[in-house]
Amino acid sequence: MHQTLLTLAIIGYVAATGLALAYLVQRDELLHRLASLATLAAWVLHTSALVARAFELGRPPLASLPEAVSVAVWVVVLLEMWLERRYGLQVLGAFVLPVALAFSLQSTPMRPLIEPALSGAWVWVHIGLALVGIAAFVFNFAGALMYLLQERQLRAKRPGALYYTLPALATLDRLTYRTLALGFPFLTTGLLLGVIWAGAAWGSVFTFDPLALSSYVAWAVYAATLAGRAAGGWHGRRAAYFAIVGFVALVLTLGAGLLFPGKHGG
Amino acid sequence: MALFVAGLSHRNAPVELREQLAVDDDKVRELLRDVAATGVVREALILSTCNRVEVYAIADVPGEARTATFRQLCRHRGVEPASVEAALYTHADGEAVRHAFRVASSLDSMMIGEPQILGQVKNAFALAQSCETVGPALHTLFTQAFTVAKKVRTETEIARHAVSISFAAVELAKKIFAGLDGKAVLLVGAGKMSELAARHLIEQGAFPLYVANRTWARARELARALAGTAVPFDELATALAAVDIVITSTGAPEPVIRREFVQPLVHNRRGRPLFFIDIAVPRDVENSVNTLDGVYCYDIDDLKQVVDANIRERLREAHRAEALVEREVAKFLARLGDVEVIPTIVSLRERLEIIRSGEVKRTLARLPGATPETREAIEALSAAIVNKILHAPITKLRESSRAGSPRSWLELVHELFGLGRK
Repeated sequence: MHQTLLTLAIIGYVAATGLALAYLVQRDELLHRLASLATLAAWVLHTSALVARAFELGRPPLASLPEAVSVAVWVVVLLEMWLERRYGLQVLGAFVLPVALAFSLQSTPMRPLIEPALSGAWVWVHIGLALVGIAAFVFNFAGALMYLLQERQLRAKRPGALYYTLPALATLDRLTYRTLALGFPFLTTGLLLGVIWAGAAWGSVFTFDPLALSSYVAWAVYAATLAGRAAGGWHGRRAAYFAIVGFVALVLTLGAGLLFPGKHGG
Repeated sequence: MALFVAGLSHRNAPVELREQLAVDDDKVRELLRDVAATGVVREALILSTCNRVEVYAIADVPGEARTATFRQLCRHRGVEPASVEAALYTHADGEAVRHAFRVASSLDSMMIGEPQILGQVKNAFALAQSCETVGPALHTLFTQAFTVAKKVRTETEIARHAVSISFAAVELAKKIFAGLDGKAVLLVGAGKMSELAARHLIEQGAFPLYVANRTWARARELARALAGTAVPFDELATALAAVDIVITSTGAPEPVIRREFVQPLVHNRRGRPLFFIDIAVPRDVENSVNTLDGVYCYDIDDLKQVVDANIRERLREAHRAEALVEREVAKFLARLGDVEVIPTIVSLRERLEIIRSGEVKRTLARLPGATPETREAIEALSAAIVNKILHAPITKLRESSRAGSPRSWLELVHELFGLGRK
């Protein structure tokens, strides 16, 4: 049941992504409306898939990494719809939906259920916090990408389609800063709980788990950017480059977790 | 009786001819009265701007009305009618409606999307109203044209992007800073164009404003005019440190703003961008300034390039606007057609309803023992028969009016059902 719903949701996300990208190039209001509609429909399907899954399992569908990523995508799409309306950022979908789609494609083949290696309330908090952090960093990445594109347009002095559709540099810079400031505490606390729990459960903090290791790298990049922003007056281009590097590390983290199952299961 | 528009515009008439025919408001009034007095038109409106002179009118014989009107116009302006006749275009009926909608929506303007034309059309409408040459037909046409024009402006972006250098500069500033509230501006040099750009920036909330000029008196004068502060020209570097937007327009042969002035500022700005608008030729800002982090510098050619791109944007949007106008024209004509056949449809229904209710009453009077159910059934039956019979003629009337030839059908229906003279 939930697998069918999830497949339908992913088809919906594919359509929404295509329409959002077409809107970015064509700037036809109709395309944007269709993209919003497809996004909403896919998200509703996704919601029911997650609910169905929760009933099948009798617990939140968060125990294995693919499950957790699927929930992260759900959060990201929800935020995307809200931010787009809230700030009139009609192009946001074109930058966020492809990422969400890539993640959800990764998480589709729900592998045979592995009993979670961990249990207890701490695990849910650990996963939940990390998810919110990851969701915030998806927007951090989208903001940085839009900033770099708009900055290039302004420097090239040849206004193209993106010059007209992308928001002002200051707006985009603020978006990347805010999402960084929001995501970082969640990521930090999430990681910290994971480390503490790992120490308690396995007796060692530095067991070889590919996900844990590469998440430290992502965390370090974000920590450096935040410090640079807050204290060193970093901004604009440099901050945007770091946001992209940080996100790549984050994606590698999840990729590592999905491809080389360690203690996080796959 | 038919609607037509005749005139000449920037599309087909040279400025020499247009300026000869352009008339001011008083002359328009005079002309309207003269034309109305000849009796060739039932309704008339004259639109005269520097880009077009047009007559919109309702007349029994459009060709005659057109000739008479322009003969009057030529007489008033002392122009040889033959020279005008060659440049005149005429649109009738649906074409005239389309033309009115396109003109009011600024789709027929020299600069597509320019905002003045709607005001000019409204003014022409008011003038014609004051001369009492606007009747129901032109009233319906132009109030709809105003609605369509508004729709085009809000639903497409034909008027959105700046097509003047100074507005393009403001738009760029917004693309960099988002809002301009509280952004400080420095004018270097006191040219007319930089003053204009500064005014636009102030309108958008930019504040405070500084003026630096080699001639101190001129700096003070301009600062006073713009409610700003004059700063000595040799303190330029200090002034630069305090602002976000710099507009330069000096007549200096060498750049007055060099990279080495700007470079140290960048670090202190902690991420706040700095925007140079250099409208001087030769340029006032050294080219390499543009490569500094967070510094953007647009010279006059760059701004021109942005304007060109904006014009291309407008043309792109114009396609969407044309489609919108096309839909509105179709809707308008359909409604207009319905207006013509609706009285007949109404009297046809009334006529059959009288027959139906009379017959039902008579039948029921002969059936005193009928139950309420039976009475209801008889009512429903008779109503259904009438509706079924009416369906075909009403549909036919609507169709014929949309096809533009309801006249013979209207007569036929009147004749067949004895509806009396129309």
